[in-house]
Amino acid sequence: MSLRSATGAVFRRELQLFAKRKSDWANPLVFFLIVCALFPFAVGSESERLKLIGIGVIFVGALLAAMLSLPRLFDEDARDGSLELMLTSTEPLAALILARVAALSLALGVALAAVTPVFALFYALPFDVAGMLAISVLMAVPTLLLIGAIAAALLVSARGGAILTAVLVLPLTVPTLIFGAGAALKVLYGESPMAELALQAAFMLLALALCPLAAAAALKISTD
Amino acid sequence: MIWESWSAFWAMGGRGFFVWGSYGALAVAVVAELVALRSARKRAIQSLQDNDDDA
Amino acid sequence: MARTEQQSNEKFGGRWFWRYASPATFYPVAGMIEKLCWVAAIVLAAIGLYIGFFVAPTEATQGEVYRVIYIHVPAAWMAMVIYLAMAFWAATGLVLGTRLSFMMSHALAPTGAIMAVVALITGSLWGRPTWGTYWVWDARLTSTLILFFLYVGYMALVAAFDDKKKGDRASALIALVGAINVPIIYFSVNWWNSLHQGSSVRPGSSSMASTMLTAMMVMTFAFWAYCIAASMYRLRTEIIERERNAAWLPAAVKEASK
Repeated sequence: MSLRSATGAVFRRELQLFAKRKSDWANPLVFFLIVCALFPFAVGSESERLKLIGIGVIFVGALLAAMLSLPRLFDEDARDGSLELMLTSTEPLAALILARVAALSLALGVALAAVTPVFALFYALPFDVAGMLAISVLMAVPTLLLIGAIAAALLVSARGGAILTAVLVLPLTVPTLIFGAGAALKVLYGESPMAELALQAAFMLLALALCPLAAAAALKISTD
Repeated sequence: MIWESWSAFWAMGGRGFFVWGSYGALAVAVVAELVALRSARKRAIQSLQDNDDDA
Repeated sequence: MARTEQQSNEKFGGRWFWRYASPATFYPVAGMIEKLCWVAAIVLAAIGLYIGFFVAPTEATQGEVYRVIYIHVPAAWMAMVIYLAMAFWAATGLVLGTRLSFMMSHALAPTGAIMAVVALITGSLWGRPTWGTYWVWDARLTSTLILFFLYVGYMALVAAFDDKKKGDRASALIALVGAINVPIIYFSVNWWNSLHQGSSVRPGSSSMASTMLTAMMVMTFAFWAYCIAASMYRLRTEIIERERNAAWLPAAVKEASK
């Protein structure tokens, strides 16, 4: 099997799994919804105030929701033994990991981005800001999952893995957060968000180039 | 000597709390690290000796 | 993947650095470096503090409170430098497979984290009279805070593995990932800071008298010496823990404690 068809097969299998197991994407969405619904109780419901915090709350909520699905990348495979198959495969491990992360990013990114504008209405954000926020979320989810794949690979079936993954990954999401939320903020202030979008795309490409290799090395270390 | 008196030195132009608070924080951090280093060393040597006794 | 120490030894032959990559050879060397650095740290700190407090004049705009600079800036620098050193030894360990390199990384991390905490506390105590609040989301303070989180993550990861060898390589990988991210984080935080806050008053940004600069540099060397000494001490403890079954160890420990 050629590299292309092998990674393609992994990619398709992941998407099929997603279509079959609705909890995999429904739970992060519900989590996202609840986080966004909690904040107004804490800060008050005046629309001016909500508008100020809305972008940040929605963006962080989406990041946290995406992070919760990180264990899904490898943990289950480690339990049922298919991780062993992946490791002994003749295909480059990094390409296989990239295929899985891409499938997860696509499913989760689209789902989270699709509901983002709805949540933006909760926070009295104008439509153009809501749209930009959805684009930002769509770009941020792959970046986060790429970085997170390294930690998830290191901590496959480790004790306390979920919380430690968060501790390792969240500080590294700061650039994504700054540029992603920054783009929506620019639109809110009526300025051009192009610089932020370009930087976010650059960060995503860098993650795309480096993270699969690092995650492959990590997986080899943790399953050694 | 650039200070008129020792009390002027300790007062730091009315900012004594912030200056000495900073140096105090450093002192606490250093002492805490040294204590932690020592106790870790003691534990390591203790377990090394226990190891020897077993052998 | 990473070679074993033995393979590396065969490949590179018995060069001098391989001898020093062995814990047995390095243990007494680390002890010597450590002693030297304790002395240097105390002497340099005494000189630096004397110049800083009794020779350097009052600063024109900030008054006396600027004297926090003698510990704040060195601590912030050390937090940065130690992270880079940590990543350097992590990379060395991953490439050459030398376990001493990993131990070096582990030994550096707690001291680096403490330096970050000291930089944060002194920064906020300095910020109160200068900015009017204890915390400002200033680019440098914010970056140091994130650096502190990276240290915490590294140390938590080291502790999470029962298998030391696995923990060595896993934490080394995370140290490298962090090191690649540090410049990106610094850049993005700077960007964010200039976007939201405009230019804020920065302590120490005004021109400094030469005696102030001298005091700060001497204190920086004192911090270097302290950090090296503390790391070497921790490294030797880790060698005792991990090489506990080695024949050379009891004699070396006894020799050192004399």
